[in-house]
Amino acid sequence: MTIKIEAFSSPGCGKCAQAKEMLKAIVEELGRERISWRDVNILEEMDYAVELGILSAPAIAIDGELVFPALPSPNRLRAELIRRLGQAR
Amino acid sequence: MLTIGKVAARAQVSADSIRFYEREGLLSPAQKSESGYRLYTEEAVRRINFIKHAQQCGFSLSEIRELLELKGHDQSCCNDVYRVAVEKKLQLESKIKALKTMSQALNQLIEVCSHDAKPLDECPILAALESSIAGQNARSGAHQ
Repeated sequence: MTIKIEAFSSPGCGKCAQAKEMLKAIVEELGRERISWRDVNILEEMDYAVELGILSAPAIAIDGELVFPALPSPNRLRAELIRRLGQAR
Repeated sequence: MLTIGKVAARAQVSADSIRFYEREGLLSPAQKSESGYRLYTEEAVRRINFIKHAQQCGFSLSEIRELLELKGHDQSCCNDVYRVAVEKKLQLESKIKALKTMSQALNQLIEVCSHDAKPLDECPILAALESSIAGQNARSGAHQ
């Protein structure tokens, strides 16, 4: 089973890009075969973002559920992913 | 310099609105006359127009204050305003979704009504609202 991460942000957000790179490194660390990452342009997928309850960007959804309404620290994301990977076993 | 009445006329708002904007920290007079009257420059008219347009776009007064602060801050850039605009659009789209759900709930209630001229105590719409069916429909509609 693959965990699906969706990172919602608006184009041109320099700070978001920097923070996302740090979070993507965690995905690499835990294994790309177990976790997928998708960058979502919030302006192109506004309906989907609203459906998930996203009210500000950047935000992260995991497996179609809004988990982080703001970008988490790398440690928080790592802990959340490890917890989910543990449940999936 | 312009008096409050002249600013109000040029910006097409009431003098009370200008005093309200002042209380909310959105506007302040450039100076006061010796007799204590507020005096403004043309900048006040531009600022009031900005406030009016932002309100029409759905921005709250606190959000307008943030935009005005960004506007007056040398280190702000277009991205800062862009971020506020994207967030506002998300909030508006979310409200639109909630309103559509409410509208669908009303559709269901309207369908329940048989269009007959019944006494008010037999009105199916009022009965449904009283028995909280409307609330249940709205909740189930939100999950569809």
